Amino acid sequence: MVIENKDRNWGMVIDTDKCTGCNGCVIACQVENNVPLNDQNKFERGRVMSWMRVERYWEGEFPEVKARFIPIPCQHCANAPCEPVCPVYATYHNNEGMNIQVYNRCVGTRYCANGCPYIVRFFNYWEPIWPEEMRNHLNPDVTVRSRGIMEKCSFCIQRIRRGARKAKEENRELEDGEITTACQDACSTQAITFGDLNDPESKVSKLSKDDRSYTLMPHLNTDPNVIYLASIKENKEEFQEEKANSHD
Amino acid sequence: MKVIVPIIGLGGLSTIAILAILFAGLINAWLGQPLPVLGFEQTFDQPINFPHTKHAGPVTEGGLGMDCTYCHRTVENSSSAHVPAVELCASCHRAIGSENSEELKKLRESAGIYSENNQVIVDPKKASPINWKRVHRLPDHVRFVHSAHINYLTNNPGAIKNIPEHLNIYGKENVLSSEVCSTCHGDVANMEQVHQVEPLKMGQCVNCHRENGGPTDCAACHH
Repeated sequence: MVIENKDRNWGMVIDTDKCTGCNGCVIACQVENNVPLNDQNKFERGRVMSWMRVERYWEGEFPEVKARFIPIPCQHCANAPCEPVCPVYATYHNNEGMNIQVYNRCVGTRYCANGCPYIVRFFNYWEPIWPEEMRNHLNPDVTVRSRGIMEKCSFCIQRIRRGARKAKEENRELEDGEITTACQDACSTQAITFGDLNDPESKVSKLSKDDRSYTLMPHLNTDPNVIYLASIKENKEEFQEEKANSHD
Repeated sequence: MKVIVPIIGLGGLSTIAILAILFAGLINAWLGQPLPVLGFEQTFDQPINFPHTKHAGPVTEGGLGMDCTYCHRTVENSSSAHVPAVELCASCHRAIGSENSEELKKLRESAGIYSENNQVIVDPKKASPINWKRVHRLPDHVRFVHSAHINYLTNNPGAIKNIPEHLNIYGKENVLSSEVCSTCHGDVANMEQVHQVEPLKMGQCVNCHRENGGPTDCAACHH
């Protein structure tokens, strides 16, 4: 009956083979989560805020070179390096497998950002300012973070809450695929899948057992909830060789 | 200073200074509490002195006994209980109410209603919203959802607090949405000017959540 108490493990599967690097997820995230706008000043200082970023790398030698993209949100690690370093317990793991950032507890020590190997935590160095015509575009379900606190991808927790609440009001269990994140909705090639990894029937848990699946920086043993599917190589042996090497 | 210092000594002076700082801190913390905690009623002078007593008050006491959800329409299925648009007020008050009432004149003005040649004309171009002052305000980092709480309380009337005298909901299994509001808002139907009754601080939220098995995860409200 009480849906919040059910132990879930929200996870995301990102198919890098489908990713075209269009940056749609970045914009969707920025709009959904009231992430402040970045200007040149922020780029120059290396203080860009974007909960989701798309990294580009080249594959192959010129002239047979291919651009590959990998979108990186907060990995929501099960063994998160950011959590034990927080002196005020502002970031912790809840029973839904999410790494939570409690904005009103945060005092801005930035230890968590130093500990994060994926560089997905962002510190508000300035009070966020939007152009006057964009003031009414802010999402009322998400707190506007003020200066001096840390923020990061929340797996669109406001959408999870909304979905869970709706299911509870209608006296039913949440269905797989009912809750979508903003980046998932915006993805033109449907490279992003979101769901409950604890549910063996869900789409994400099936995809996460795919041959192509891997996690970022597995040697750190962070056990992320964001699972990537490798881009498809023309010959399969090359991929298996690479995958075997990455575990060494 | 030459006289005082030898008498009470430097130790005494520093003690007084420390006590003064502590006292200032105490006063600051005291005033930082919301006024209802201290037993004062903080009322606001609204742009139109809307009488909840006349609209929502019990029929036996001269009110109309209107349901709260008639005006605060989105409260059952949305996170916020919206203040109604002027048009909703005007839907009744273009006909009902004294012509000479000062408050109704203000309402008709902001709804764009005027009479010409014994005809009532509604001109939406002349309408303008009323700048109501907000009475119940939660901090910006809290996400309170009315619909979830109303959904729970209507099915679990045991958790309702501050039940007004004129309501008879004891022993019922299901109650109306408008009968649960008093838990946080008090008996608004009998308030001349709406004021905050409960402190609406996090301690109160968490206590109620613990008593009724609500989620106590930080991310349930703070996100």
